[in-house]
Amino acid sequence: MIALLKKYEGLWLFVHSPAAIVAAMVAVLIFLGAVFAPWVALVNPYDLSSFSLFDGLLPPAWQDGSNPKYLLGTDDQGRDMISSILYGARLSLVIGLSALTIAAILGVGLGLAAGYYGGRFDAVVMRIADVQLALPAILTALLIDGIARGILPAAIQQDLRVAVLTLAIALSLWVNFARTARASTFVQMNKEYVQAAIMMGQRPTRVMFVHILPNILGPLLVILTVDLASAILLEATLSFLGIGLPADSPSLGTLIRIGMQFLLSGEWWILWIPTLFLVALVVSINILGDFLRDIFNPRLR
Amino acid sequence: MVYFILKRMVQSVFVMLAVAFLAFSLFRFVGDPITQMTGVETSVADQERLREELGLNDPFVSQFMRFTGDMLKGDFGFSYRTRQPVADMIADRIPATLELGVVALIISLVVGVPAGVYTALKPRGVLTQTILMTTLVGVSIPTFVIGIMLIFIFGVQLGWLPTFGRGGTVQIGSWESSLFTIDGWRALLLPAITLGVYQLTLTMRLVRAEMMEVMRSDYIRFAMARGVPMGRLHYKHALANTMVPVITIIGLQFGGVIAFSIVTESVFQWPGMGLLFLESIRFVDIPVMGVYLVVIAFFFVLVNLVVDLLYVAIDPRLRISDVS
Amino acid sequence: MLPLKLAVLGGALSMSALAASAETFRWASTTDPQTMDPHAVNSAPVLSFLNNIYEGLVRRGQDMSIEPSLATSWEPLEGENGWRFKLREGVTFQNGAAFTSEDVLFSYQRASDEAADVRSWFAPVTDMRVVDEFTVDFVTSAPNPLFPDSIANFMILDKDWAEANDAALPARDAENFATMNVNGTGPFTLADRDPGVRTTLAPNGAWWDDASHNITEAVFTPIGNSATGLAALLSGEIDFIQPIPLQDVAQVESRDGFKVLEGEETRVIMFGFGHEHDTLLYSSDVTDANPFTDPRVRLAAAHALDIASIDRVLFRGKIEPASQLVPAGISGFSEANQNRPDYNPDRAKELLAEAGYPDGFSFGLKCTNDRYINDEALCRAAASMFAAVGLNAELSTGPVRDYWPQLREDDFDMYLLGWSPGTFDMEHPIRFLMHSQDDSRKLGSWNFGNYSNARVDELLPMVQQEIDPAARQSMIDEIIAITQDEVAYIPLYTQPLIWAAKDNVELTQRADNFFMLRWVTVN
Repeated sequence: MIALLKKYEGLWLFVHSPAAIVAAMVAVLIFLGAVFAPWVALVNPYDLSSFSLFDGLLPPAWQDGSNPKYLLGTDDQGRDMISSILYGARLSLVIGLSALTIAAILGVGLGLAAGYYGGRFDAVVMRIADVQLALPAILTALLIDGIARGILPAAIQQDLRVAVLTLAIALSLWVNFARTARASTFVQMNKEYVQAAIMMGQRPTRVMFVHILPNILGPLLVILTVDLASAILLEATLSFLGIGLPADSPSLGTLIRIGMQFLLSGEWWILWIPTLFLVALVVSINILGDFLRDIFNPRLR
Repeated sequence: MVYFILKRMVQSVFVMLAVAFLAFSLFRFVGDPITQMTGVETSVADQERLREELGLNDPFVSQFMRFTGDMLKGDFGFSYRTRQPVADMIADRIPATLELGVVALIISLVVGVPAGVYTALKPRGVLTQTILMTTLVGVSIPTFVIGIMLIFIFGVQLGWLPTFGRGGTVQIGSWESSLFTIDGWRALLLPAITLGVYQLTLTMRLVRAEMMEVMRSDYIRFAMARGVPMGRLHYKHALANTMVPVITIIGLQFGGVIAFSIVTESVFQWPGMGLLFLESIRFVDIPVMGVYLVVIAFFFVLVNLVVDLLYVAIDPRLRISDVS
Repeated sequence: MLPLKLAVLGGALSMSALAASAETFRWASTTDPQTMDPHAVNSAPVLSFLNNIYEGLVRRGQDMSIEPSLATSWEPLEGENGWRFKLREGVTFQNGAAFTSEDVLFSYQRASDEAADVRSWFAPVTDMRVVDEFTVDFVTSAPNPLFPDSIANFMILDKDWAEANDAALPARDAENFATMNVNGTGPFTLADRDPGVRTTLAPNGAWWDDASHNITEAVFTPIGNSATGLAALLSGEIDFIQPIPLQDVAQVESRDGFKVLEGEETRVIMFGFGHEHDTLLYSSDVTDANPFTDPRVRLAAAHALDIASIDRVLFRGKIEPASQLVPAGISGFSEANQNRPDYNPDRAKELLAEAGYPDGFSFGLKCTNDRYINDEALCRAAASMFAAVGLNAELSTGPVRDYWPQLREDDFDMYLLGWSPGTFDMEHPIRFLMHSQDDSRKLGSWNFGNYSNARVDELLPMVQQEIDPAARQSMIDEIIAITQDEVAYIPLYTQPLIWAAKDNVELTQRADNFFMLRWVTVN
């Protein structure tokens, strides 16, 4: 009953928050574009024979010297900007979402267990979290990237770039989940329903995942949203520093890195269109994150 | 109390050791320093000899022991690239990074705290919504894009501010400062704003959340009921109460500022530790990279420790399990 | 109204910035010279920078020709292989000490020591001796007509100064006095050094040659990020920068008060093959053979590349297509062989069909992404052009720090390489890139794919020892003809050299990308 009311209240609030509606629409549009990129994009940026250097550096359709075929122009390789951005968003979202999934499973699992068992296990998990916190996200990602470069054979490194980057981002984000899950679990542990379940002799995993987890989802959902934005930004930053993805698998971050070379050269669209797109995506996600935070923490309204 | 402090310190040592191990094992595996140290025409035999001399062929464990042992003795080794002592190289760069970080933090406080208070007290105002929206956009633009935009507008187009380096610096003992010349401040402005924007948003949101929380607390409601004037209520009682957690987070943020200065320093060619770190990655300068990681971790652990201790000192009721 | 006011204010501020820099010349480049020791590191940023402070027996002029420096003349030795150098008298080091043959001997011993990174320059030298105070002999194992040309970067240190300061040997894994201090004979001396941040030079008032520059102080700043570097030039903080990105040339030219200096570097960019590999490493369809062992397949790859489009889009019309591994104008360039395979995708497909691959095949292409101008973009474009004729390149790009080890381990099917002839002679790339690999004789050491041709191997020593230029050239022509015929490499183009400066700066752009302060005048 209470859950139902909450749900309706959330919906009601949503309908009355224009910012959230716009943000949701932008996010959904981008998600759809990313998912259906292979069907809606003009060219496939991974298929080298689908574009030609001959079409390189064409400006957007409203500028002189453009080709109407390429609405937002082409980059220095002759790739259609819209296609690159759609595929780029696809890759950025795949990386961001997979990193989050890994971080959430790892963090929530450890956090729940730490909150449930407490004591020595809790101490060990929290010390590991301390080590993790002592190395900020960007350094963690550098570390993982470097380790992968050192221990993986060069032949398969290229194929594993996405996996390595995902893991690097995941490892720099799991602590948030672990801490939140742990703190919320502590609170729930004192609730009667949990105590009752434990006394009834239910298995710890059942208590944790069936009883406690559903009741701490709210704060976790907020972290999930905010961290999706962080993951996308982190990927862009790593690519800017030249340790992200190579230029032939263009994520949004890589597109911006490539575009940077044209900052002063007059081909503004190669930099600013992907940047605008990235900012729009992250802003929408952040607005939705804020909105969710307000719903799950009604006192702040 | 003594037990708690001791426990915290032991934990910090544990963290530092783990970081040292991470740093070392990472750089033991990355790239090949020999190819970086030698030129195009050095023969393979000469490279092999150098590798042997530097101990790069020794077993992993003995290399790590040597690394940790040297570090404890304060011997941070020599850079593969410049052949200078790493300790000197990093020490030379610390002032630049610290000054940048501190000024960025001050910017984030000076703007962030009032903005946070205002948006908490007038949650439905138009200005509040504008501020919230602006900061949301601000936090969604990658730091490097903000930096490049500032350079483009204020450096290239308007020509008002320098776009790289520290400008005029003054040597105070071994501390090279850019805080005492106008030129230095001009050079500091853009990088500090770039670095401060993200922290500013965090600070503002934190102050706002804490402030709203406190305003709802019984203690403030009582004061309101007793007829304490609103202005005094807001700034004396409420704000003072939000400061403890805010200061804690700011302390922790400082570590983040130092780490994130890597990006800012790269964009502005700011000669701090972060730039040194990026250069050393580029040239596989293992000793510099390793020491940088350990130094950053040390900053973090130290700040963490101080914050924890402060916390307990301010509010003894807090038990350690609630702190972390 | 407001923008106008702002503009006026901006103008005033930048004027004061200009006034402050009038007496001082400020320049930037991407890399900081990592040491001030001329023998410790064999890398272009160090050698280029130190040529302003130290000098060799010979030096290169504005057109790269060899001219007298600390030696006034040189001639082949009588009765044995080697060269005799007559030294300049009356030269002093920057600390006032006199320059004599003892300093040359000391510098030779120092630079050819195991601790020195430049010792390979002296591989042909068997002995060096002091004849008198101003005469020295270098004895070589075989006739070596190019020896004087090969030591233009061999810089002379003051013996007493180095020994007194414990710097008798170059520092390799720890610093020594010469890492941070200098004492040369050159036109400039070190005033202040903050590694990685700023290095300040002051003119050497006691320099033996006539100073043609008018600099009173020169400040060098390394700026790794090219956008930041260009912004620094355009905002007036620096007077000169090398290099600037190609795509920004138009932007600089369109602004008042700035100019672009364009030239050709001597570096030729090329693709190389795994000639020796039995199978392709990165193919998804041909796993039991290496099609690139067939010269027709290599020629097909060459015909697939549209250098004109690469030039127009990626390099804004700034590159010169290359037919061989040195550009025209370098000694030994083979005039007889200056045609390169034209862009002809149909011919490429025919050749592939003749070779038994009518549908093409896939393979791995390795490239750097931080070593040559637009290297990554070039490889992406090349992969796209290869794909158009059925050669499906699996492109992998990486930073140069991981690149050489991969090439040394034979981990490639095709790879990108740029080569600048260190001696400014065709013999250099023949020795390093075309001769079969031979570790003991230090030959073919950058011939990663081990291209091997018995006749080329036979001709190289003859080229090295031949004194008669015409006979030598005909041998080189034969080598180039063979390697072109067999498509040992696909030479692509000569890398352009793009510098930018304020309009009031006059300077000389030398083809080896060295920047010499002694040719700078600020008007």
